[in-house]
Amino acid sequence: MSRSIWFVAEHQDGQLHRGAAELAAAARAVGDETVAVVCSAPGGTVAQQVAPFADRVLLVEDPSLEPYTAGIWAQAVVALAKEHAPAAILLPHAPLGRDLGPVLAARLEAGLMTDCIALEWDEGLVGKRSVLRRKLVARERVTTSIAVATCQRAAFSAVAAGEPGTVETVEPSIDAEAARTRFVAMERAEMGEENITEADVVVAGGRGLGDAEKFGVVQDLAAALGGVMGASRPVVDQGWVAHDRQIGSSGITVRPKLYFALGISGAVQHVVGMRESDVIVAINKDPQAPIFEYAHYGIADDLFKVVPALLAELES
Amino acid sequence: MRIAVCMKAVVEPQSRIELDGDGNLRREQLRYEVNEYDLYAVEEAIRLVDSNDGEVTVITLGTEGAVQGLRKGLAMGAADAIHIDCDPYALDPSGVAALLAAALREGAYDLVLAGVESDDLGGAQVGVLLAEELGYAATTLVVGTSAPSEGSMEVRRELEAGEHSTVEIQLPAVLTIQSGINEPRYPSLKGIMAAKRKELVEKTPADLGFAELPLPRVAALGLELPPPRELARMLEGSAEETAAELVRILREEERAL
Ligand SMILES: Cc1cc2nc3c(=O)[nH]c(=O)nc-3n(C[C@H](O)[C@H](O)[C@H](O)COP(=O)(O)OP(=O)(O)OC[C@H]3O[C@@H](n4cnc5c(N)ncnc54)[C@H](O)[C@@H]3O)c2cc1C
Repeated sequence: MSRSIWFVAEHQDGQLHRGAAELAAAARAVGDETVAVVCSAPGGTVAQQVAPFADRVLLVEDPSLEPYTAGIWAQAVVALAKEHAPAAILLPHAPLGRDLGPVLAARLEAGLMTDCIALEWDEGLVGKRSVLRRKLVARERVTTSIAVATCQRAAFSAVAAGEPGTVETVEPSIDAEAARTRFVAMERAEMGEENITEADVVVAGGRGLGDAEKFGVVQDLAAALGGVMGASRPVVDQGWVAHDRQIGSSGITVRPKLYFALGISGAVQHVVGMRESDVIVAINKDPQAPIFEYAHYGIADDLFKVVPALLAELES
Repeated sequence: MRIAVCMKAVVEPQSRIELDGDGNLRREQLRYEVNEYDLYAVEEAIRLVDSNDGEVTVITLGTEGAVQGLRKGLAMGAADAIHIDCDPYALDPSGVAALLAAALREGAYDLVLAGVESDDLGGAQVGVLLAEELGYAATTLVVGTSAPSEGSMEVRRELEAGEHSTVEIQLPAVLTIQSGINEPRYPSLKGIMAAKRKELVEKTPADLGFAELPLPRVAALGLELPPPRELARMLEGSAEETAAELVRILREEERAL
């Protein structure tokens, strides 16, 4: 029997998310047939946008499907999956998949693997995921007849657009009255005072700085290098610096000529926001910190010793 | 308002992570702490009952070591605690959710909060699976809550790249709480003393109607070291030496300064 792998197409304001082509790549690697599931309001073009990445598109249209809420999307996808019994349903490990993935898994009595960085088919869907702060990789297999998995962003290289797959419009099976979550409003990102995405040099500090006062050395080094200061999330959460400095998946993405990571461990949500930088320097006292996998130059030492030495050296 | 908060003991980041000859994790050298995201959840629950009346129950599933997290939750201000005594490594997330649901069902909670994910395994699924078990609505990545009114509440949900959405959710509900929503309090000495007199209910899976543990839907196949990547060129020596070498490289080789 041919193995059909579905992925749920992510979209907003009528635009397909570019991560869809990554999910298509993941689906293609493990299945015979790649099917995109599109949940949208009538009249959109998301199905046409995703068609070049799939063999088939299943399009469910209903006004209640936009803007997204997990409850109504789940109704639509579960009904389809019960009817067609795909081998697996893939979602992005992003707000969409975190919300919807477990609901699909529960209602389809399916096993769920989250944040997968690789997938293969070996008597079932087998996934790899990073655990213990990226120090180990776990291999898991879903043992139920339908598998659900969420895929880490950028872990799969996007497939190129091909011959568009056929689009089939399916009758929605939705009871909007039964939904218990309702979309209220959307807030766009606020722009900061200093546009750090355009800086040539970004010096970012993490939790390893210890407190707001000691975080000052990050600013000192940024100033000495003629660059701007950035931060990892815990620094922003604790209010040491403003929100617009946060680099990573829930903050901003930077691509400077030179990036310094001081006291930052290198969690994937941070790394996605800086790994494209031309030259990356990491200073971290833990020689096993994952940030060294992304850095071009590393110093495994106490930053409170190295940064003052750097400041002295830059002055000379 | 009755709120339950799920707490998990997670592997401390400083623990030595090693595999033995059979590829199994050397568990004896792991140390545990409370999952940081769960502390944000406890704090949010306490704030919600402080301004809207009610009580907070903290719950954990784990071996004896997990109880330390409950004590912290009680010291922060929870009224009582439930410990499900069970080896968490014997369950997959759907099993954890089934046991938690069995322990929480009778409590008729208006709200169940959980951390957005665990810091060690990062599954990010127990909260929502629990909601489905209980028949509750769920929303993930919550960075703001508002006072409930007429059986529902508005929550602020974090999306990517600085975007947020506001969602209205009907109670009872499960919310998974993201960092930054609040600043978790440190338990006061008074809180720590008071915690010792609070009720901590012990339950076994059998007490919850599980003669046998639920079968996993996801099987663990094994652990491996991460694939080797292009590692950084590591600079060695004293701080003065590494600093001088780095500045030389950035100036002369990379021409980045
Ligand atoms: C949905 C979601 C979205 C997220 N979005 C983001 C995001 O946009 N951006 C982001 O950054 N994170 C984000 N995170 C959080 C992310 O998972 C990590 O928790 C975070 O990046 C860790 O920050 P850190 O490296 O500063 O802290 P830690 O992981 O605590 O690392 C601190 C590091 O400092 C080192 N250190 C300590 N003292 C010293 C010293 N004296 N000298 C040198 N080194 C020292 C330690 O060895 C350690 O490696 C998100 C998480 C989730 C779940």
